[in-house]
Amino acid sequence: MASRVLLKKPFDLGKLVLRNQSTMSAFEIQHKTPLIKKVEAIPVAMYGGRHHVTMLPGGGIGPELMGYVKEVFKYAGAPVDFEVVDIGDENSDLDYALTSIKRNGVAIKGNIETKSESASVVSRNVAIRNELDLYVNILHCKSYPGVPARQKDIDIVIIRQNTEGEYAMLEHESVDGVVESMKVVTESNSDRVARFAFEYAKKNGRKRVTTIHKANIMKLSDGLFLETSRRVAKDYPEIEHNDMIIDNCCMQLVSKPHQFDVMIMTNLYGSIVSNVVCGLIGGAGLLSGKNYGDHYAIFEPGTRNTGTAIAGKNIANPIAMLSASVDMLNHLGHVQHAELIQRAIEKTICEDKIHTPDLGGSARSTDVVQRIIDHILQADIRPW
Amino acid sequence: MSLLARNFSKILVQATQTAGVRSLHSSLPSLNETGISERPDTRITCTLIPGDGVGPELVYSVQEVFKAASIPVDFESYFFSEVNPTLSAPLDDVAKSISKNRVCLKGILATPDYSHTGELQTLNMKLRNSLDLYANVVHVKSLPGVKRRHEDIDCVIIREQTEGEYSALEHESVKGVVECLKIVTAKKSQRIAKFAFDYATKNNRKKVTAVHKANIMKLGDGLFLRSCEEMAKLYPKIEFERMIVDNCTMQMVSKPQQFDVMVTPNLYGNIVDNLASGLVGGAGVVAGASYSANCVVFEPGARHTYSEAVGKNVANPTAMLLCSAKLLRHVNLPQYGDMIRNAIEQVLKDGKIRTKDIGGQNSTQEFTYAVINNLKMPSRV
Repeated sequence: MASRVLLKKPFDLGKLVLRNQSTMSAFEIQHKTPLIKKVEAIPVAMYGGRHHVTMLPGGGIGPELMGYVKEVFKYAGAPVDFEVVDIGDENSDLDYALTSIKRNGVAIKGNIETKSESASVVSRNVAIRNELDLYVNILHCKSYPGVPARQKDIDIVIIRQNTEGEYAMLEHESVDGVVESMKVVTESNSDRVARFAFEYAKKNGRKRVTTIHKANIMKLSDGLFLETSRRVAKDYPEIEHNDMIIDNCCMQLVSKPHQFDVMIMTNLYGSIVSNVVCGLIGGAGLLSGKNYGDHYAIFEPGTRNTGTAIAGKNIANPIAMLSASVDMLNHLGHVQHAELIQRAIEKTICEDKIHTPDLGGSARSTDVVQRIIDHILQADIRPW
Repeated sequence: MSLLARNFSKILVQATQTAGVRSLHSSLPSLNETGISERPDTRITCTLIPGDGVGPELVYSVQEVFKAASIPVDFESYFFSEVNPTLSAPLDDVAKSISKNRVCLKGILATPDYSHTGELQTLNMKLRNSLDLYANVVHVKSLPGVKRRHEDIDCVIIREQTEGEYSALEHESVKGVVECLKIVTAKKSQRIAKFAFDYATKNNRKKVTAVHKANIMKLGDGLFLRSCEEMAKLYPKIEFERMIVDNCTMQMVSKPQQFDVMVTPNLYGNIVDNLASGLVGGAGVVAGASYSANCVVFEPGARHTYSEAVGKNVANPTAMLLCSAKLLRHVNLPQYGDMIRNAIEQVLKDGKIRTKDIGGQNSTQEFTYAVINNLKMPSRV
């Protein structure tokens, strides 16, 4: 019904918005109107070279990993102050967490468990991404030499549409026993992701972008995604573009992963492919993911598992969260600190081979963190 | 002097004892067991502007304390002055140094009342504008042992200091009629409001008070007030309150404990800063800092050069020392910052050594040595 009204008078809604716009400040437009979001970003929380960053520990092993991040930051002298907002349990204040991210612009986040299968409960991970319009998720899968893994020397960047597709959360039972779940693909979002991917490839000296799809079956939705990325590819003649069907892609990934460089895909495929690649190079505890929107960025461990089973046992791998923090420092422009921590992580894992049980070692989480701190203290730079 | 020398060595011994004790969990092996030696402290460079009046004496006191505690900070000193233009370092050099080091310790610059060259901007304003040091933070806190009319004052005054009345736009359109422009922009008002709320969030403060005069300057101060109100909506956990500047000054002298964080436009901030500083002991004991996005300049909160006391060795170095403690905290050396702050509080609490401004007879030097004697190395580095 609503859509029909809109079709009949396509400009009315726009007019309404425009009329409101004249009486609203840019600030209100950004924060109150859902349709014209974020015209102007609020100032970034950076004062005297120190950043304020929202920290959402999440559930499971999240809080202990965040403790390690704080500890490492203290010794590395990273100029970042954390504002911790707890969103671990069901009744905590998600809105406050969102407001906090909006004012700080950047957040580091553990994973929040989505246990409930009841229809009324919206996954809070998804809610955060949608509300902040974090339309792209980047997972840089790079093998650590020295970590036992099925495949060596992998270097793949997975770029995933993060807000629509199968995660549109539109499901209904029209007739008893028949459930329809909508997969939404829009041209504007596909375009943003493709553009982001090609820009990323260009900036980071990557050679090829592969679009992963299933357009042979979902001819319209995935078709649109594929078509859009082909169109965007034309603007970047220096970067090679090809496409691959998701089932074939999974097979190729486990047999010949080195053929991939940058990959872009819709939401669900991204979730699957990133877990496949994580499994190939050493499990959930190593990689970190970045979520970007136009104004906000959230950094989190790459595979979104809470690890509730191993919480409190001092065996969780702290590397994923620490590399998320390194990504965050890079994003904030504290490149020196990022390098310092990154090198310490690499030395610990690749040279000292201090591994937690998930990588086949026997070290405790604190042993790994302690060694990383030792390496940081040994390095002779101290950028405050 | 011999007392001092004895204490130097005591501190050094303490330092060597505590340097090795550091580990993440007490159950974990310490560094010595893993066979990794700790690197020597790497040093931090900080720009230093002694300023006019007693500035150089106060800065010397800070350097003495830093030397005694072997704090790893190197100073890059610039003589910078408006009343002594021939000796002053060029603004560009100073600004460059500050943006490189990102921290600066600064005394107060004297500003002549009348401009002889037709220049409307003061050197202070030029420095602030060139580095975009937009937020001035003055932490007014009652000190132990300094008896004043009010107890337990603990408020933070945050002042916008790049626009407003200090825009240096004045002209005489008709003979005998001077217009002075007060500029208020939405962007800068939002920025300072956000700074205040973020400061409150970070430091676990409960309330932010916007000080204004929007009932008279409906557009200018109105814009400032509205920006603060809008920003307040993003901080649901912090109480927001507004107060007209005249009422604010009255409340300040009668019931100063009610204030927590205050955010003000330029001129009101200047007045409220000085008023509040007077309540806790004057210009010699209140520390402040000016922030831009990238760098911080730490300077005493109430800006007086105290030029009548130059060379008399009577100025109170507390404000400058507190500034240096804040500086150390900012550059990730909080243990040293706390050490200095605790030492100052101890000296003031003992009350044996006091400078003239807080009712004593001791000299700057004696006070400095008393602080050095009270330095206690933190048990864990």
